[in-house]
Amino acid sequence: MMWSEKYRPKNFLDLIGNEESRKLFVEWFTNWKKGTRPILLVGPPGIGKTTLANLAAKQFGYDLISLNASDVRNKKNIHEILSPVLGNQTVLGTPMIFIDEVDGVHGRADYGGTEAIIKILKEPTVPIVLAANTDSSDKMKSIKKVVKTIEMKPLSPKLLRLCLNRILQLEGVKIDSDSLAKLVTKSRGDIRSMINFTQARATGFDPPTEKSFESLDIEEGINAFYKANSTVEARSILYSLRIDPREKINAFYSSIITSKISADDMQKFLQVISEADMLYGKIMKTQQWRLLRYLDAILLGLYKKDIPIRYSKYNLSWPLLNRLRWDGTKIKSIIGSLAKTMHVSKSTFSTLYFPYLLYCIKNKKIDLEFDESLEEIVQKEVALIK
Amino acid sequence: MPLKYDGKCVVCNLTVKKNEVGFWSRGIGVKHEKCAEKNIDLKCIICDGSVGCPSCEFIEDCNPQAVSPLCICKKCEQLEDPFVSYKKTVIEKFPILNIKI
Repeated sequence: MMWSEKYRPKNFLDLIGNEESRKLFVEWFTNWKKGTRPILLVGPPGIGKTTLANLAAKQFGYDLISLNASDVRNKKNIHEILSPVLGNQTVLGTPMIFIDEVDGVHGRADYGGTEAIIKILKEPTVPIVLAANTDSSDKMKSIKKVVKTIEMKPLSPKLLRLCLNRILQLEGVKIDSDSLAKLVTKSRGDIRSMINFTQARATGFDPPTEKSFESLDIEEGINAFYKANSTVEARSILYSLRIDPREKINAFYSSIITSKISADDMQKFLQVISEADMLYGKIMKTQQWRLLRYLDAILLGLYKKDIPIRYSKYNLSWPLLNRLRWDGTKIKSIIGSLAKTMHVSKSTFSTLYFPYLLYCIKNKKIDLEFDESLEEIVQKEVALIK
Repeated sequence: MPLKYDGKCVVCNLTVKKNEVGFWSRGIGVKHEKCAEKNIDLKCIICDGSVGCPSCEFIEDCNPQAVSPLCICKKCEQLEDPFVSYKKTVIEKFPILNIKI
């Protein structure tokens, strides 16, 4: 089990740091009544904003309705989700709304969402908690006018170390003080990434000392994933590898397809890649970015201990790539000029005419004169005909 | 160094303008030259004493002005179980966090 889940705070006291902010938050909940201004938690990732909202729902007995940036892009969506909650509380128990990453809707991606949220924030009938990483954008400034803002700051390295020492003590794991200090400073106040990184370190995987997983590039990430000693370790690496999802899927695909693995493994892995690809396609089509959280769980199916897969940028072998790059340009120019002569499109010529033409050249039924460099390419192509 | 872009000073919250001389640190933010000179010492949550930020081992990687305001001093870190002491103090100083519904 991941430590960050195992040691997730179970009440307000289990959290660490930002004591004054936590106090203000709990006071707000204690005194909440219809019409009380909603609350906005502002602070960097990994310091407990979402946890705080979840704990509040649990401790004060609310039914939590969570939304994120992708849900609040357009007006229609917001009304569809929130109107039943705001309109009739008795049917839905005692709801509480939590909108995470409210600062995540940028410029043209906002189809009236911010405006609709502000309207709801002005007349709250249920407790509404918003969370954002920053509050400096114009949109956030207009949101801030109708909410009470609580700033949450990153934790000091000493508090992080205090928390980490506690976890290590409970896990019975020992890490030397230098490594511990490195783990603490590299997390830059992000408690979640610090715990994930420490778990990976403690379970035997030795990450590059100068970098955290979050700053690993795709090559180091994929290689570390396949060098992992356990699924837990592989998961930790995968979850921390924060790169564009399309790039992530492509990197796995090119690495797998160029590796020498058994046909069964290849089939299994390509099936996983296809599932990941379908999920990403669905996300892009429907813009339901909340589904992205399932991508890593699917990609974890690509892990198998000691499998000889290493990162490869290109999904074709070098000789083939070279041929495509150099010979391909010349073949294109031959096809271009011959297609014109035959009064057909380049595509028709290359699909239907060109293979036939090569057969004719091979069987000496036709004799065409090409430039010296093109002649060489044509001969290469002829030689490839079986 | 002269800053490349406008930014918000992590100390005074005012804008540090482009080309103005200031300090920048990755993950922390920017601050005015004057603000950087101010020495802030965090308070220890357990003993209420000064944490001694200027001599802290983490001073290179910590910005006392930008982190959660209560920290823990060296002396309290060496208590038998500093985590339990931290929790006890939080209950004493912020009783509302011990809410049970």
